[in-house]
Amino acid sequence: MSTGSEEGGALRSILPPSRVDDLFGFCGDHAWALLGVGAVVGTLPPVFGLREGYYMTVLTEMYLFAILALSWDLVGGQTGYPSFGNMAFFGIGAYTTAILVKDVGIAFPVAMVGAGLVAVGFASVIGIAVLRLRGHYFAIATLGVLLAAQQVSRVLDITGGASGKILLDVPPGTAFYYLFFGLLIVEMGLVYYLSNTRFGFVLNAIRDDEEKATAMGFNTTYYKTAAWMLAALFTGAAGGGYSLFNTFIDPQTAYNGAWNVELIAMALIGGTGTVAGPVIGAFGLHTIIEIVETAFVGWQLVILGAAVIVTVVGFPKGVVGSLGEYAGEMEYYKRGGMAAGGGEAASDPEAEPEVEAGE
Amino acid sequence: MSEAADADATSGVAEGASPTDEEAVLRTDGVTKRFGGLTAVDGVDIEVHSGEIVGLIGPNGAGKSTLFNCITGTLSADEGRVFLRGRDVTGRPEYEIARAGLGRMFQETRVFGEMSVRKNLLVAAQEGGAGVGSLLRRPDDRLLDRVDELLAYVDLGGLADVRAGRLSFGQQKLVEFAMELMAEPDLLLMDEPAGGINPSMLENLIEYIRRANEDEDATIFLIEHNMDFVMEIADRIYVLAHGERIADGTPAEIQNDQRVLDAYLGRE
Amino acid sequence: MAITQFVVNGLLVGALFAAVAVGFALIWGVVDIINLAHGEMVMLGGYTSYWTLTAVTGNAEGSLGLFLATIPIAIVLLFGVGYALQRTLVQRVIGTDIFLTLLVTFGISIAIQQLGIQAWTANPRSIQVAFADPSLLVAGLVVPKMKLVAFVGAIVLTALLYVFLQRTRTGRAIRAVSQNPEAAALVGIDVEHTRAVTFGISSAIAGGVGAFIATILNVQPQMGLIYTLKSFVIVVFGGVGSIPGAMVGGLLLGSVEELTAGLVSSQWTLAVSFTLLIVLLVVKPNGLFGEVTEP
Repeated sequence: MSTGSEEGGALRSILPPSRVDDLFGFCGDHAWALLGVGAVVGTLPPVFGLREGYYMTVLTEMYLFAILALSWDLVGGQTGYPSFGNMAFFGIGAYTTAILVKDVGIAFPVAMVGAGLVAVGFASVIGIAVLRLRGHYFAIATLGVLLAAQQVSRVLDITGGASGKILLDVPPGTAFYYLFFGLLIVEMGLVYYLSNTRFGFVLNAIRDDEEKATAMGFNTTYYKTAAWMLAALFTGAAGGGYSLFNTFIDPQTAYNGAWNVELIAMALIGGTGTVAGPVIGAFGLHTIIEIVETAFVGWQLVILGAAVIVTVVGFPKGVVGSLGEYAGEMEYYKRGGMAAGGGEAASDPEAEPEVEAGE
Repeated sequence: MSEAADADATSGVAEGASPTDEEAVLRTDGVTKRFGGLTAVDGVDIEVHSGEIVGLIGPNGAGKSTLFNCITGTLSADEGRVFLRGRDVTGRPEYEIARAGLGRMFQETRVFGEMSVRKNLLVAAQEGGAGVGSLLRRPDDRLLDRVDELLAYVDLGGLADVRAGRLSFGQQKLVEFAMELMAEPDLLLMDEPAGGINPSMLENLIEYIRRANEDEDATIFLIEHNMDFVMEIADRIYVLAHGERIADGTPAEIQNDQRVLDAYLGRE
Repeated sequence: MAITQFVVNGLLVGALFAAVAVGFALIWGVVDIINLAHGEMVMLGGYTSYWTLTAVTGNAEGSLGLFLATIPIAIVLLFGVGYALQRTLVQRVIGTDIFLTLLVTFGISIAIQQLGIQAWTANPRSIQVAFADPSLLVAGLVVPKMKLVAFVGAIVLTALLYVFLQRTRTGRAIRAVSQNPEAAALVGIDVEHTRAVTFGISSAIAGGVGAFIATILNVQPQMGLIYTLKSFVIVVFGGVGSIPGAMVGGLLLGSVEELTAGLVSSQWTLAVSFTLLIVLLVVKPNGLFGEVTEP
């Protein structure tokens, strides 16, 4: 359903569909170059003096959310399994680094890798149970996993119980800036690459019609699990970085329910099933929330809830998705429309069947 | 892949060929499936040989779709065996049977709606199997060329980058068909391919299927209710009624078989 | 004996879970969505009762009769809230992607939670109902009177719902829509209105239960999600279409929780519940009783 068709007048004259289509084409052709440029641009702020303080933190968190949203989208938007419990991976990663660094004395970089691996391990175990469910059941099961993980953390001593853990002696702010930024670039590159390989195609096929994908010979469990574990890896690693970044971790922070909704909302608002969508959504929504937070303390989640509702009801394909539709709306008709495939073409000379001897 | 068609050879396979000439691509041996007290499929033996187009007809409720599902692995037969190219695939998981060379087209025409037509075909390609290496490689030129070739085959060339969900029902059926050709299955099962297609498209469909059968050596086993369609396209036909095979033969033979007429008219 | 005591406690509280779950199942069956904001209706009902009582008595204490008088208020108010939510928001996403419907109700849930925190702070509140003697002693078992009242209340609400569905025109309309919306429309039923009424009724019952919960436990703005999830567990267990199934499921869940709390520790109850959820979903995704529904 094209979103721009009726209200189009002004929009069409300023930004006609063909222009948008060209834009998409350009981005598609030069994706890697654009990513490279983005990578370079992102390294600049600290170089130009932004070393600490509020804006540094906001940017760092933006990258963090982009990682979370993109990871969610890998399973939710690309594979069609919308998880409502990705923060479980985040929390597990966060606690892993916290424990490894504080209690075991392992160096931070190693601990972060450990966080990612532990999260993947957890994901593979949970995945066996959860990935065989569909739709509603899958979503709620993942939500249950999140809450269970949160409860368990509240109860165990090793995680510091309800009070959590405090970490001192953490690297400086710029380290986290580069850490999350780097992780984001890596993930974007990886997801983009995968989306153009058969692996990515199969994930999309599972999303569009899992039964057909199975009938075509794909062991969908294998693919779903791979995507799930990949998402857990990045989410867990991000969590691992976060506990030190925040110098503090507790069950509320590690398994933050609000963030759980935010990351989904970011992917949705930006446009699920794309690489740019969740990232744009994360950058945009986080900025908006920060602005709202400074102006009306405590209302950011109400705004978030409203944003979710508006997006779902109004433009469920998100920014990138809606633009994509808008750009491509005439494609079908330009390329032959209903006549292609010899459909109505009783008069099309090429469509005359050559009748051979029947049998 | 594309072999020159020898018109005589293909049309001759069905008539005088003895089943022992070559191993049957598909063979079922006494397949039986029950649902509670109802026997949907009762001891059905069928064979499909390489290069044939075989039809499966019968009144509603005869067990045709159930038989199909037993062959594809969607359902497990209670008794009997299914052999694909001589290999016993009875009870194997659906995706494994598909990988072993069995393609299936659905009655309601399923394509991957959010993906482009091109991607739909790329997904269908089974070259290189499912090894990690081939999964992580981008589609090579040969594959992309093949996609264009097949799309041109069904006259959908210009729509390669359009979202498959945008296409009309008939066009989606052609895409599904092209996807199957992409996968180069040993055997293609088609479930009511003529369903919901307007008459002019039907002519084209018959043509596409025939061409695929000759040029691409596609072996086809199809369920169909549209008698004109089946009689025109099939080399041989099996007739099912009440789960049992009651007749088989060429279209001409079937049309004159009293048992078949009785089954359809409800006499028994 | 300790175990019997735990089981009794479990049954008492389990009826409350069951009543909440029944409303959840109703929405699922009739409106065909999983309402992730259902638990918030419980919370709002609790707060309604709390504030109404406070408005009358000055603090959240009162006699049983006074408390019971707040229940209809909670019920009516929550009916309105539920009806409005369905008509304005939820209606727009019915029939679209499952994920979107989940996300909308999730968004509503978060929004309500946060509004609650803004309005009432995150501090838990509870209602004190005055009894001369708070507990009964029955066959060696301690039965707190308020819990008994809550138990009865939950049963009454559920029974009323059942009668309503079976005996009234609207109830029949609701059942018709749950079976076949198109056919229902063809016979002249206003499907949208009926769905909204269903949402309203479910919210109303949840609100009523919430009021009771305010007396035997407490209320705080973020309590809702847990009740939503428990409802889900119960409905998966009992089957979407089955009120008896939900009742059995609720009582069972309550007992399991109380036994865990008593025998292990109260900190593990939620973990146990969620593990149960996952086990259930894996083993029996379509429920043990009731109809088979497409996920």
